[in-house]
Amino acid sequence: MSSLELRDIWKAFGATQALAGAAIEVRPGEVHALVGANGAGKSTLSRIISGQVRPDRGSITLDGSPVRFSSSRDAILHGICMVTQETSLAPDLSVLENIMLPHLALPGRLRWRVLRAQGQALIAELGREAGLDLDTLVGDLSIGQRQLVEILKALALDSRFIIFDEPTAPLSPHEGERLFAIMRRLVARGRGLIFVSHRLEEIFTITDRVTVLREGRLVEGNLPIGSLSQGALVRLMVGRELQDIYGRRTARPPVPDSHPVVLRVRNLASPPMVRDVSFEVRAGEVLGLAGLVGAGRSETIETIFGLRRATSGTVELNGQPFTARTSREAIRAGIGLIPEDRRGQAIVPDFSVRENLLLAHLGARGGVGLGYASRTGAIRDLLAVLDLPERRLLDANMLTFSGGMQQKVILARGLLLSPRLLLLDEPTRGVDIATRSSIYALLRRVAGEGMACVVVSSDFEEIIGISDRITVLSDGVSVTTLPSQLVDVEKLAMFAAPRTSAEKTHTVLADLVARQGGMAYWIVVDGGRVFCFDRVGTDASADPGFAAGGFPLLAETVIAPALANPSAGFVPCTNGTRWTLLVPIFGQRGHSFGTVGLTLAGPPAGIDAAALSASIAGILSDPIDHALTETGQFA
Amino acid sequence: MNADSLPPIASPPSVAKPRRTILTLLATNIEIRMVFVIVLVMLVLSLASPYFFTVKNLLNVLDQSVIVGMVSLGETLVILIGGIDLSVGSLVGVTGIVLGLAMRHFGLAESFVLCLGAGALAGLTNGLIITYGRIAPFVVTLGMMSIGASLAYVLSGANSISDLPPGLGALSADTIIGIPLDFWCLLAVYAVCYWFLTSTKGGRTLYALGSNPEAARVAGLRVAAWSVIAYVVSGVMSSVAAIFLASRILSIDPIGGQGLELDAIAAVVIGGASLFGGRGSIIGTLLGVFVMVFIRNGLNLLNVSPYWQGTAIGSIIIVAVLAERLLSGARRRA
Repeated sequence: MSSLELRDIWKAFGATQALAGAAIEVRPGEVHALVGANGAGKSTLSRIISGQVRPDRGSITLDGSPVRFSSSRDAILHGICMVTQETSLAPDLSVLENIMLPHLALPGRLRWRVLRAQGQALIAELGREAGLDLDTLVGDLSIGQRQLVEILKALALDSRFIIFDEPTAPLSPHEGERLFAIMRRLVARGRGLIFVSHRLEEIFTITDRVTVLREGRLVEGNLPIGSLSQGALVRLMVGRELQDIYGRRTARPPVPDSHPVVLRVRNLASPPMVRDVSFEVRAGEVLGLAGLVGAGRSETIETIFGLRRATSGTVELNGQPFTARTSREAIRAGIGLIPEDRRGQAIVPDFSVRENLLLAHLGARGGVGLGYASRTGAIRDLLAVLDLPERRLLDANMLTFSGGMQQKVILARGLLLSPRLLLLDEPTRGVDIATRSSIYALLRRVAGEGMACVVVSSDFEEIIGISDRITVLSDGVSVTTLPSQLVDVEKLAMFAAPRTSAEKTHTVLADLVARQGGMAYWIVVDGGRVFCFDRVGTDASADPGFAAGGFPLLAETVIAPALANPSAGFVPCTNGTRWTLLVPIFGQRGHSFGTVGLTLAGPPAGIDAAALSASIAGILSDPIDHALTETGQFA
Repeated sequence: MNADSLPPIASPPSVAKPRRTILTLLATNIEIRMVFVIVLVMLVLSLASPYFFTVKNLLNVLDQSVIVGMVSLGETLVILIGGIDLSVGSLVGVTGIVLGLAMRHFGLAESFVLCLGAGALAGLTNGLIITYGRIAPFVVTLGMMSIGASLAYVLSGANSISDLPPGLGALSADTIIGIPLDFWCLLAVYAVCYWFLTSTKGGRTLYALGSNPEAARVAGLRVAAWSVIAYVVSGVMSSVAAIFLASRILSIDPIGGQGLELDAIAAVVIGGASLFGGRGSIIGTLLGVFVMVFIRNGLNLLNVSPYWQGTAIGSIIIVAVLAERLLSGARRRA
């Protein structure tokens, strides 16, 4: 039978038993998800499949006959290869040279003309959307494009089985969509794909069957994805039910205005990523910074923390003007940062867990000595709160622990200094679901004790789940701040749509105002509120009752009558002064993209409302569709 | 790690047990492994040559270890932060000349200050350019190595300086309980350095900086300042070595420190430090110095041709580091 099968795989690294009876069976023409919490052994198993690691015990069979891989080259020759998280490309070589790199290891003369033709064919097979050119240097490509080059490399070797290890982690949602389209094409051509991911939504989107590992053991193999619910899958992964991982916000009262504002940011700029950001956080509040990759979220908090220079704007800490030139100043002023890149910005690999935990303490401390002893009690308390085993942990090496454990230690590092303001950048990236839920609980707890928290996350559901309020950034500009119970993922996505791709929409609105006067706007009406994403026009007497980024109650605006009478053309407001035309917009695939409206300061004169509606709907359904597909939330 | 687990109360005392503990000790700790190696080397040398275990020869070995040892201490700090200092040898030469010239006009103390100042200045230049100019340490210190060697010739007119004040010799001639003063000085600076690296903020900052500079910066450590300081210390230690070298041979040669950078780097690496930074210990370096000095001494005693000594020492360095890699289970960074 044609398949790749691993059975009863065991592997130990030193004292750690990474795999203890893992198994997986992959067939050509399917996407097979390999899932499990952190430390379940997914990566180890992937590396065994791709020949990078040799198992201590167990059997690998390919098409029914046993095989042994002594190196990744071995696996490649058997048609198995891995597309890694950290790309293994040579940045100074061209796309073609990178794709054909493995051919350098084959005997015989290189025939570049043939290879180039093959390269062209491969690009054609994957689709040209990515705009890959064979002669571009790989170093000049985006992360998403580089990943594509890796896939091409796998295809150039005629790989039959390809492992994707967390491929979407570095990608924007749009790039992720493109990757899925490519994966579907590969499957249609009879390749077997192994998909390793933490993101449940992706697993349910793309995979056919699932194999679940827990603590190195096979829990369930070959489950058809259709037979599972998300809850059931999580249960299999962690071995218990996780009730409401965000610690449900319904029971959470809003943070009262009496709480002092801990951080107030006004028109902060740090080019090129941060252009105009304003928000404030109160003691005891969790503020989410939402936005797409590249919107300037991490850069905003790094600027506040002194890791980047602000060129304009003000930051106030506890009511006092504050500028950090170094992170040391920020830490001493009572700010903590949990950085985005755990391995690159947080972990000191040669330090024990204890010293890693004490690193920010060391940074904040004056004087010559270490003063470690003064923190012993606080560390013990923190480890207890974080549910970390003190004895096993403190003298061990950081890197021997799972991503979730490491993140807890880094969190403890920030909390050890009892900051008044905690900045968290993607605090749950690469963290298993059980740890995620305990990180959320911890966040709620420290906020409850009066700490102000700013959380950056790419996961819109997460940010809605954990934040009290959400500030949305788009292309380096804070477009609005909303209470989290008012928004859902789709509205966040509309606010977060990159300004550059919303530009055409904006131009159309401006054109509308130039021709008809009044004010033109793009809104969504939901739950009795109007969410305004963009508004054009300066005629105050045509003000519809909201501005861009606003979310007033419908009753406070002038458009309620127009909304109640769709397809009635221009409708006057209740006191008859302002006349409004609303045009619902739908994307090509029938999704609702809200409403475009035009409000005039008086009755319309000589305007054919029906024709205008049709033309607005016609022109706009396209660019808005495009702008939102960029956000990846409407796929 | 398992110190807290219960001791096996009922288990009978086994004969193999003490041997196992020695092996475990050897397997866990590089410093203990090195002491073991040094003892082995001494044993072999004393069997091979009747002169080895004479007081005169051993004092000679101690003397030689002072010069390499002083330079290696500075090199350790630089290698810990993931850098390298190739200029130390030529700085020993040029700061020695500064010392010799200064002593023609000033007293001993003032001359020492000038000599140390020259080393500090060279180190500061290295450190500032490497840290703020973001140029590879290899390149900057290679340039400084050339500049130092050239200035040593310029300042001395390519002649040795031998009109030195008699008081200078006291540093290596005087002894305390039979051991030369300069060796006591070496032990003293190593003790201070040990305390610095293990128990002060600066020391831990050097380790963090070598292991992950970005994490150190984010955590608020004074990364740039300590990076510069490491190179300054390395420059100053070259001056210190120059002073002791002058005191020992009572003559200063412009190429007196030639090749010392290689001995120093070898000693640090043999002592278990990683050239990627973040790993190493000052005790390891001291033991590495002894390994280097004993081997050189042994080769001389065994009448190995000076032409062949380079091959022998080079091979020993490579084999030592290779063996260390295998013994420690190749637990390098992933």
